[in-house]
Amino acid sequence: MSAFLVRRLVRLAVVITGVSLVTFAILHASGDPVSLIMPEAPEADRAVLRRTLGLHDPLPVQFARFVGNAVTGNFGKSFFHHGQSASALVLERMPTTLMLTVFSMGVALAIALPVGIYSAVRRGRAVDQLATGTVFLGQSMPVFWTGIMLILLFSVQWRLLPVSGWESWAAVILPTATLSTFTAPLLLRIVRSSMLDVIGLDYVRTARAKGVSEWLVICRHALKNAALPLVTVTGLQFGLLLGGAVITETVFAVPGVGRLIVGAIRQLDFPVVQAGVFMLAMIVVSVNFLVDVLYLYLNPQIRVR
Amino acid sequence: MRHWSLPLLALALLLALAPGADAQPKDTLTVALISHAPTLDPHMHFERVGILVNINMFDSLLHKNARLEYEPSLATSWKALNDTTWEFKLRKGVKFHNGDTLTAEDVKFSIERVTEPGKEKKKSPQYGNVRAIKDVRIVDADTIHLVTDKPFPLLLERLVFFPIVPKKHLEKVGDDAFGTTAAVGTGPWKFVEWKRDQYIRLEAFDGHWRGKPAFKHLVIRAIPEVATQIAEIKTGGVDLIRNVSADIAPELKAHAQTYVSSAPILRVHYVELDMRSAPFDKKLVRQAANLAIDKQAIIQRLMGGLGRQVATVVQPPAFGHDPEVQPFPFDPKKAKELLAQAGYPSGVDITLHSAFVEFRPVFEALTQMLTEVGIRTNARMWDPGPAWNKFLQAEGKATNGAYGSWGNYSVFDADAVLHPLFHTEPGGWIGKHYTRVEGLDKLIDEGRSTLNQAARKRTYSQIQKLIREEAPAIYLFTQYDTLAISKRVEYAARGDEWLWLFDAKPKR
Repeated sequence: MSAFLVRRLVRLAVVITGVSLVTFAILHASGDPVSLIMPEAPEADRAVLRRTLGLHDPLPVQFARFVGNAVTGNFGKSFFHHGQSASALVLERMPTTLMLTVFSMGVALAIALPVGIYSAVRRGRAVDQLATGTVFLGQSMPVFWTGIMLILLFSVQWRLLPVSGWESWAAVILPTATLSTFTAPLLLRIVRSSMLDVIGLDYVRTARAKGVSEWLVICRHALKNAALPLVTVTGLQFGLLLGGAVITETVFAVPGVGRLIVGAIRQLDFPVVQAGVFMLAMIVVSVNFLVDVLYLYLNPQIRVR
Repeated sequence: MRHWSLPLLALALLLALAPGADAQPKDTLTVALISHAPTLDPHMHFERVGILVNINMFDSLLHKNARLEYEPSLATSWKALNDTTWEFKLRKGVKFHNGDTLTAEDVKFSIERVTEPGKEKKKSPQYGNVRAIKDVRIVDADTIHLVTDKPFPLLLERLVFFPIVPKKHLEKVGDDAFGTTAAVGTGPWKFVEWKRDQYIRLEAFDGHWRGKPAFKHLVIRAIPEVATQIAEIKTGGVDLIRNVSADIAPELKAHAQTYVSSAPILRVHYVELDMRSAPFDKKLVRQAANLAIDKQAIIQRLMGGLGRQVATVVQPPAFGHDPEVQPFPFDPKKAKELLAQAGYPSGVDITLHSAFVEFRPVFEALTQMLTEVGIRTNARMWDPGPAWNKFLQAEGKATNGAYGSWGNYSVFDADAVLHPLFHTEPGGWIGKHYTRVEGLDKLIDEGRSTLNQAARKRTYSQIQKLIREEAPAIYLFTQYDTLAISKRVEYAARGDEWLWLFDAKPKR
């Protein structure tokens, strides 16, 4: 069991390093931030700034320095937000992004679980067909489009909710709805199909034969085994949700990490992009690690192996 | 159906309880910008979105009214004593938001904060604007002299946005706090709160020397997405949005709660031609390219009529513009003739580049018009930013020209467009790559080295005749700034793209 955890931890470190390397490479291939910071300055002035920012060193040296500092949580100072540390800028906005992501995951699960179970149990009936159709629709809509459509309907047409911002609870509803629309369909499909797999098995029939009530059969017996794939997918979806949050935050003017990173990419603010991507990657990898641990608990077979 | 009634009921309840998209309180004016600048400190950034906030909190020595004429602000009068010395008389009894009285010391401190005499590395990105100021002399309590290293005709233009900050306060709180939580100026609104990426909240300053602004509260929200900004103004969530494009303007013009206000601005569109290599090393080909473009058709069909044809890149409202110089007419027949004369009877293939994404349709129309007269153009569109910068740094190679625009950083002077676009000085902008017009550098230098406005006018007139003939660029049109404004607010777009909200009034 501990060997399993150690293997996972090593994999975690490899993934984080890989993500950092890719981010670093793409950023540095994309151009020279100094020419964006001082577009009209003479070359001599630019050289001074380049030296101050450490951009004159060869790339491997810069990367080594970046990794060295990142390990201690230091990502350097933002090029754009004068004198502020990149990690502080990211951390300041992290609660907002996490809140949006966790809420959306919660709402998505709250929809996916009951509807998924119900359509598995009533396979082929009207509710099942309606759910399957909605899944299809929900998965085909890109996040930014869903967001703008929800604004048009709920804010412009019906005047029920604020268009954008993050100042009131009402403002949280539309971004959350947008992200859940994006996640719920996949979760629903997983719940439905794994329930279908399980529901026909012998032990479920045995439970029914013992006279256990239908409700208990489904929730106690069937769901426990059907939950395994759901846990995996939920972990994976968490990463996708964070990615979706980047777009959602821009559409709804939510002051989160995603919007910070989008702005920083536009300004070639290397330290902020690196800090933001690094921390988001950390969260995704950690969540997946937790999922692995949860697996150990849920599926004793792995523990034996 | 029983199973469904509960969640539906809950949703209905939630929607009923949620406060809807609410209208603004009467005394609040809310403006949407695509982002906030990194700091409230007016000297430590160079961003339009920051300047628009700063001007409503800080005053400069001079101001421009809505007709873009100079007006006294913190200086009540000014004059040039000689070629390099300017005298400014300061307004008496002006109060900062913290109660301090404005002194000559504050003015000296503000300028030297940016010029940092004796320091090798300057921390303000605005240094280039005022680097000509070598000395600030306090003559008496209300008089200062600014001494420039050489005649600097743009001084007054630069001082229109050069906010004066309180020395004592700044030394007490430090740069960082000043830029984030303790910004203090003399302007119509004072700082209340800044929630990053959300809003900046300002409140009318009772002691402002002009009197109180019409709106007690001013809120500047950061909304990056244009579609979201439009939804906000339609629902009354904000009162003013900027940069309304030609395809959206009709909708907001017709909307029950909004109107649209436009003003011609300095931003001039052009295709800068690479004179170092064929075919644009030949004057006749450059002239042919100018004759090939139907500018009126582009303005009418693609820009909703919001454009003004120009003869060169010098904009009509800029100092030095010569109305006698006429734009190239649209004459495709003559264009073909010139092309043949230049040695290209069967046409020529070229490539043009652009990173001007908002005007992609214009770029495509331009290249089509060029192709029709025989300058067969391959149009390449870039994402603005990194790759484009790299391309420009690589001396703009692998191209015959670039479509772009220039806004003079809102300086109403011919020099502010001629130097970056056509001067070949190594530190310059695009001209150093592309332009090779005999004698042009010397004329541009001449124009910027005297305060004699009549002499400058003559020089710029000469330059415009020269570049009209030599055609180092395809000259197109100037653009308009278009605002959408809520019907409860009275305001008009300005030619310098400022949002001077002291002029905004509630509409009855």
